[in-house]
Amino acid sequence: MTYALHVLNMISIYAILALSLNLLVGYTGLLSLSHAAFYGIGAYICSLLMMKLSFPFLPAMLLSIVGAVAISFLISLPSLRLRGDYFVLASLGFQIIVFSVLYNCVELTQGPFGISDIPRPSVFGLTLTSAGSYLAFSVVVAAVCGGLLYLIGQSPFGRVLKAIREDEIAAESLGKRVSQFKVIAFAIAAGFAAVAGTVFAGYLRYIDPTSFTLVESIFILSIIIIGGTGNVTGPLTGTALMLLLPEALSFLGIPDNIAPNLRQVIYGVLIILIMRYRPQGLMGEYRYQ
Amino acid sequence: MIVQLLINGIIAGCIYALVAYGFALIYNTTRTFHFAHGAVYTFSVYLFYTISAWGVPAWVVYLLTLAATALLGMTIDEVIYRPLVRRKSSLLIRLLSSLGAYIIIINLILMIYGNEMKVLNAKLQPTHKFGNVILSEVQLITVAACVLIFVALVLLLRMTHLGKTVRAMRDDPELVSALGMNPQNVRRLVFALGSTLAGVAAILKGLDVGADPNAGMVAFLSGTVAVIIAGVGVFNGVILGALLVGILQSFAVWKFSAQWQDTVTFLLLILFLLLRPEGIFGRRRRVEEIAA
Repeated sequence: MTYALHVLNMISIYAILALSLNLLVGYTGLLSLSHAAFYGIGAYICSLLMMKLSFPFLPAMLLSIVGAVAISFLISLPSLRLRGDYFVLASLGFQIIVFSVLYNCVELTQGPFGISDIPRPSVFGLTLTSAGSYLAFSVVVAAVCGGLLYLIGQSPFGRVLKAIREDEIAAESLGKRVSQFKVIAFAIAAGFAAVAGTVFAGYLRYIDPTSFTLVESIFILSIIIIGGTGNVTGPLTGTALMLLLPEALSFLGIPDNIAPNLRQVIYGVLIILIMRYRPQGLMGEYRYQ
Repeated sequence: MIVQLLINGIIAGCIYALVAYGFALIYNTTRTFHFAHGAVYTFSVYLFYTISAWGVPAWVVYLLTLAATALLGMTIDEVIYRPLVRRKSSLLIRLLSSLGAYIIIINLILMIYGNEMKVLNAKLQPTHKFGNVILSEVQLITVAACVLIFVALVLLLRMTHLGKTVRAMRDDPELVSALGMNPQNVRRLVFALGSTLAGVAAILKGLDVGADPNAGMVAFLSGTVAVIIAGVGVFNGVILGALLVGILQSFAVWKFSAQWQDTVTFLLLILFLLLRPEGIFGRRRRVEEIAA
């Protein structure tokens, strides 16, 4: 039972990550390999505020969103002019830089030892002590984030993003400031990733840099590539599939020492097959032509 | 001290240059962001480890390893990229598929060999002293081998018909087929040659520091940075780009610590993307060309 609750908690967190990355990949057509960096930035800012300055959980969450959005400009402004694989590479570089900062600035982040004993979050006077009550909280947060991202996607702003994805030059010629829209989309995605990070930190109450690596960024990207992008159902399908797949594998009785690698191999095969036969993903709307 | 750092940087740069030249051959001609190049590198060093244990003569070990590495590169192209090219899939689809191939190969290697480092060269390495500079034998061989290979590559691309075809493919892949040459043969060639170069780099580096499952990604990322700062479409300039990355990393290790090596590499990349996206030797391209 506790285990099922754990899986559901992780599904809520990854749903936020997948839906927010979808705004970049599925709506704007920007393939980013830096989502785990913002996820980590959110988790770290929130934990440090709670530990060092004894902030309550919700204000810490708000400030970590602000922090992640501010940092997102550092990467989005320079990479504005970059397209295609150049942007991918720039975001990859940013991911690696953020990881080494988290890992090497030992005075602030305690580096590889991570931050432990993060206080239990309390929300509106209620301290979330059990996995069950935390699940209620994370589902509510995920639902709010999902709802907001859905509304953003449906809004005129979301339609401009889709126009940029389809034809950047045409969107520009219609008077839309493409670069401005991209920067805002990037900031929104970073902010929501930070929310996922705070929910993660409050849930595990221990964080270390290994949760926010390039591999993690690739994993979040593969969730939405496999599930599909450009709408809400695609990323949600991907999240459920990719987080339940390990459970299915453990039913098959794969030995523990190779199970994580076998899982990765399956992800790799899925990515290749989906890219070849169904570029829009299982349930997605947007196909990379 | 400074000279030793410079030499260390040049040796690291030589390894990156091999990887980067291989990547440039593939990227410039087929426009495929070949992530799996890093996996090909790792495959090569582990295969070398396995074949070394068979007790066959050394030259057979090298030959078999490099041949299998070339074959792996060609197979990845044949099985994964070719069908996508036929479907006229975009750059990003090929990039993601390549990432998928990288994940598959690396995890298969991890399943077979486990996560620990393997030692390839158990005997104590003799060192040579030149004034204040100390070099191991493997490092000397690395520099010598790289100089030979680079001269051969420059000549191959400049002087031979094959090199001319590769350059033609870089400039306009469609025109190549219009002129009656088979672009598929050029693809096979660049994937075989590019992968072999990654294999040579992997073996040389492996003899120096051993086999490590992450080594491929590290070498690949530094190599890619070298390609981007040299400029897309450039072949020989990549060697200079790689030396620059190697030397910069070597000084970063000395000035800060080894952990900041990646940060310095990617700050260099971001600086270039910001100030000179066409690279040192590249030509400025129009937006439409970059998007393709």
